[in-house]
Amino acid sequence: MTLAETLSFLPYGEYAFYIWLSYGVTFLVIAELFIRTSRNHKKVFATLKNKYAREDD
Amino acid sequence: MMWKWIQRLASPKVFYETSNKLIPWFLWPFIGLVLLGLYWGLVVAPADYQQGESFRIMYIHVPSAWLSMLVYLIMAIVGGIGLIWQIKVAQVVAKVSAPIGASFTLIALATGAIWGKPMWGTWWVWDARLTSELILLFLYLAYISLNNAFDNPKTAAKASSILAIVGLVNLPIIHYSVKWWNTLHQGAILEDISNPSVHPDMLWPLLVMVIAFQFLYGVLMLLNAKDEVLVREQNSRWVRDLVTGEQA
Repeated sequence: MTLAETLSFLPYGEYAFYIWLSYGVTFLVIAELFIRTSRNHKKVFATLKNKYAREDD
Repeated sequence: MMWKWIQRLASPKVFYETSNKLIPWFLWPFIGLVLLGLYWGLVVAPADYQQGESFRIMYIHVPSAWLSMLVYLIMAIVGGIGLIWQIKVAQVVAKVSAPIGASFTLIALATGAIWGKPMWGTWWVWDARLTSELILLFLYLAYISLNNAFDNPKTAAKASSILAIVGLVNLPIIHYSVKWWNTLHQGAILEDISNPSVHPDMLWPLLVMVIAFQFLYGVLMLLNAKDEVLVREQNSRWVRDLVTGEQA
């Protein structure tokens, strides 16, 4: 039995595997964009704060 | 009047403040529309008479493919403006758009492959539409690495903008590939709005998702552009005040 057949109990039956997989991949890629954005935001603020603190010394 | 407004927006500080104000106007419509589009497309829309339930992949495949091209167009045009008039803000918008566009291209390719498996019996074919979309991904990746290859942001913006403009030639190839060549890929769905090739019950949620994805691009672009502006303007007084004053 293939994976697609195994998962056919889910909504959308025989296509369940393909539909949920594509929506899952999309969600992960977009979530990754937001995570990367937030990480970069923190990094920028930390780096700049550091720079200004050093200059003030 | 318009020109004055554009000139004002080209000031990094005004751009930063305007972005701050604009972000909620992109974020909330995105959240609202994506929930509406998902409910409509995944629950309300009836199954397709030919493709069964599998057509529901369309609701993410088409918007991301559309955005993959739209973001590239924006990146090339705004990059070109930044190149010609040396506008920093334009260079920033072009630069931060690239990873977002690349991600949409990746989604379009991945969901296309997943859709292709049950419909065509294969994950991938070297067909005109698929190949030109893959080239688009490579163009994005080349743009990103070229932008990172230079220490001087001005040189980086110059080199990568030229690449983006040259790569523009790929967009009409992607768009017309389904007409110019015999391909497995189906024709355009959104070609002629007055005479759609898809039933309205299926078309409306698609339009909602396309608009939702455009707002998503707006949110991500503005969030990243704000931080990039701070980095480029780190020697300005206002950036220093903003960062040390703890207001993000």
